[in-house]
Amino acid sequence: MEELREKIKQYRLKFDEAIKNVKTPQELQELRVQFLGRKRGYLTKLIESLRDLSPQQRPLIGKEINELKNYITARLEETAQSMTAVAKRLPGIDITLPGKTLPLGAPHPIIKFQEEIENIFYQMGFSIEDGPEIETDYYNFEALNFPPHHPARDDWDTIYVEGRDDLLLRTHTSPVQIRAMEKKKPPIRIIIPGRVFRKETPDPTHLPMFFQVEGLVVDVGITFAHLKGTLESFLRRLFSERIKIRFRPSFFPFTEPSAEVDISCTVCHGEDSDCRVCRGSGWIEILGAGMVDPQVLKNVNIDPEKYSGFAFGMGIDRTAMFIYQITDMRSFYENDLRFLRQFLKQ
Amino acid sequence: MRISLEWLKDFIELNISPEELIRVLNSIGLVVDEFSWEEGDLVLEIETYANRPDTLGHLGIARELAAVLGQSLKEQQWPLAEISEKTEEVVDVQVFVEELCPRYCGLVVRGVKVGPSPEWLQRRLRAVGLKTINNVVDVTNYVLYATAQPIHAFDLDKLAGRKIIVRQAKKDESFRTLDGTDLQLSPEMMVIADEQKPVALAGIIGGENSAVTEETQDVFIECAYFDPISVRMTAKKLGLQTDASYRFERGADISFPPRGALMVASLLSQFGGKATRGLIDIYPHPRKKKTLILRHHRVHELLGVEVPSEKIESIFQALQFGVETTQPGCWKILVPYHRVDIEREADLIEEVARFFGYDQIPSAFPPLKQLEPPLSPLRKTIQRMRYLLFHYGFNEVLNFSFMSEEDNDCFAQARKPVRLRNPVSSRSALMRTTLLPGLISNVAYNLNRGAEGVHLFEWGKIYFWKNDVTQERLSLGLVSTGWRETKHWSSLREKSDFFWLKGAVEDLFSLLRYEPVNFVQKEHPWCENGLSLIVSYKGEPLGFLGLLREEIGRKYELKQDVWVAEFDIGYLISKQPRAFHFQPVVKFPAVIRDASFLVEAGLPYQQVRSFLESREIPWLEKFELYDRFTGASIPQGKVSLSFRFVFRHPERTLEAEEVDNLMERIIRSLKSEFGFQLREGGKIDK
Repeated sequence: MEELREKIKQYRLKFDEAIKNVKTPQELQELRVQFLGRKRGYLTKLIESLRDLSPQQRPLIGKEINELKNYITARLEETAQSMTAVAKRLPGIDITLPGKTLPLGAPHPIIKFQEEIENIFYQMGFSIEDGPEIETDYYNFEALNFPPHHPARDDWDTIYVEGRDDLLLRTHTSPVQIRAMEKKKPPIRIIIPGRVFRKETPDPTHLPMFFQVEGLVVDVGITFAHLKGTLESFLRRLFSERIKIRFRPSFFPFTEPSAEVDISCTVCHGEDSDCRVCRGSGWIEILGAGMVDPQVLKNVNIDPEKYSGFAFGMGIDRTAMFIYQITDMRSFYENDLRFLRQFLKQ
Repeated sequence: MRISLEWLKDFIELNISPEELIRVLNSIGLVVDEFSWEEGDLVLEIETYANRPDTLGHLGIARELAAVLGQSLKEQQWPLAEISEKTEEVVDVQVFVEELCPRYCGLVVRGVKVGPSPEWLQRRLRAVGLKTINNVVDVTNYVLYATAQPIHAFDLDKLAGRKIIVRQAKKDESFRTLDGTDLQLSPEMMVIADEQKPVALAGIIGGENSAVTEETQDVFIECAYFDPISVRMTAKKLGLQTDASYRFERGADISFPPRGALMVASLLSQFGGKATRGLIDIYPHPRKKKTLILRHHRVHELLGVEVPSEKIESIFQALQFGVETTQPGCWKILVPYHRVDIEREADLIEEVARFFGYDQIPSAFPPLKQLEPPLSPLRKTIQRMRYLLFHYGFNEVLNFSFMSEEDNDCFAQARKPVRLRNPVSSRSALMRTTLLPGLISNVAYNLNRGAEGVHLFEWGKIYFWKNDVTQERLSLGLVSTGWRETKHWSSLREKSDFFWLKGAVEDLFSLLRYEPVNFVQKEHPWCENGLSLIVSYKGEPLGFLGLLREEIGRKYELKQDVWVAEFDIGYLISKQPRAFHFQPVVKFPAVIRDASFLVEAGLPYQQVRSFLESREIPWLEKFELYDRFTGASIPQGKVSLSFRFVFRHPERTLEAEEVDNLMERIIRSLKSEFGFQLREGGKIDK
């Protein structure tokens, strides 16, 4: 009997020693089998040896064996639990491995850039208008003071609809000026972003379709000074407060006086006579603008003696090309994911 | 327009540096696009405008420079060697179409030695980018580039009957140009003819039959004003553009022809030419100079700056305009003939702005008198739609609004496409009637460049005819193929499939609060059989989603499954979505019941869903299908569907018994409607 008591004591010490060295669930299972295994486990063997004891001794030792069994079971359970908890926090592997990312979709750079432009004008009290892309000759040209056989039309190479001489793909967003003024009396303060079409064979700087944003302000007492102030604020917000801006005379049939607006080259700052962006001039042409031609106002029954206004237009693709230094305009419409997805970060 | 500095100096004294010259030209709107030094001469490429034909010659540029620099133009002398013969005795000029040719001047120069041009003349022509032909032709080109006045020289001996007749072309008349092109003429075209035949296309190009050659001895010099619209229409119709037509169609200086003819005759005297006496000048109705009124206060009202009277007067005087004060603050302005662009007071104000200096005008911000309307619901909806699609991993693309006839064949539909009369290429012969050809081409493009998964969306207009009116509808297209995620070391990744696309679509409409959207399984011509759903909202079709038909995919060089969808979001957005209402979070616990049923395998889930949605079961917060399976344990022809029903009362905790009764009702109705058999049910209370 004392012999058995000694064995119980030894097994307990042995177990305590062994469990200290257990590191994996596998080792834990091996330990469980070693002590509690139904056939050859140490405790099974101890119980078997109870047979050799007298009926009075059996319950005493039996109780002690049971206590050891409970102790071992509890310790095994406890260790197993702490092991899973550890496993949950640290899988026992290299935690510097790459994390999991969500495959987020990317916005198209033109639309994103258009949104930026819209937001600036939105803050300046402009609203956003829209109009048809298949237009009539009247809205695209005549109402904008392009007489039917005027050579100025040559600067706007036009794609026409088959079977209808009066229908064309709008060559600029300007027809929406006319539609807006027909719809609403001054004060008017709108921008019109959208697709426009020209009969151009695609090359790095020309496409048959691109995006433009048009602006129109009409009210009592609107002057060329207002045109300058508005466009300067817009361009400074779009590019930088530090750019220089220059207005120079130009010609558009629907504005008089007309202006072209240049900004100082943000690539070479006018310092490189071989700059491929500004071709050494130090200036980049960015906008066309002018005071709304009195004939255009008359065409929509707004009295040019009472009201005046200014209008402007900017190529969205061209400006985006300049800002991001994209050399080929066609890349916007190839929709190569390696190109598009870069703008996730912009 | 190429302008030589050396040549400019014939007209004006210029003592400023090239940099200053370029700056000054820019400041008045004559933009120097490029400049270069050629043979010691500075050659400027100046951008000119359609309304300023007067700047299409060196004289015109010199005039502008004189005005801005406060200088006057040099006087020029054109001495003539004359003979006693009268011009009208040598050649008979008749103008039959006065309205198309309001002025016609002519002069004969006899005894010209036709040959190579002298070096000074060749050098000038090289500067403006012209080739030398012979001294006579070179002189006419020289005068054109000097003054913007087109001139034509005929070989006098080749003019039958020594006649010049300005008339309309006859029906079926043909004509060979100087450069050997045969043209078929029609009666609306104006020609210069002799007794028998056309010898020039008026204002555009001369004829081979009357050209000046080495053998020519006597030339007839034409210097005229032709009607801009007539010249333009003829040139357009024949597809010709020449230096002459370019200037006439923009409007020449009607006062200039006599001077132009004399310049040519004078220059030809260097080659032995002797001019006949008396210029022929047919100008039956001389035009008066345009007179305009300029009000001083309008200058301020339009420019936003006070320009002093003296400044305004000096600007117009420098530009050779007549200026008269009619009453204080008001001028009568006489417009010189070469300024065809000046027609209204606004045009005069532009001249004031140009020469006062755009940089002298201050900057101001227009006062905001009223707030513009807020962002339209359309824009808001599109923004929300885009962000949801980005979240699902769809990339936004933009394609041209065009498609080809082949695209149209692949994606045939009842809508009649809008075809273009003069498309840029056959690939863009039509306006797109669907966004899918563009999107599918983008998929092929990216797969060919190694993309493992391509998930794209585009929103934009599609176009079609409806009762002879063109329609533009805002459409949303989605395409998805291949892996949805990049490879990761820790887990398997998934490919895009039908239910992923459907989930995105369901989520999209739900988040935009367009509910319920109805999905019906129905064949679609662009999709594989049995793999398309027609989507509708409030009974109106919205679009479809499905698996792209393989034979269509193959036309776009696609070899793998592509899931596609397209929706008429213009229609959707025109409808009011369900209003958004905040719901207080209910504090009382939900009661959850799961139930599994044996169901006929052929029953579409959409029917079960619509049925349950229409039941109005009290306190049923939501239900979900969380499991579906078939297999050995399920009888043939049946499927097991497991639902989870979530009940919640807003004001109290539901009793288990109440929920049991509701479940009983649901089970009974599913039994009687669809023959559902209950497999098992359970309770989970939360």
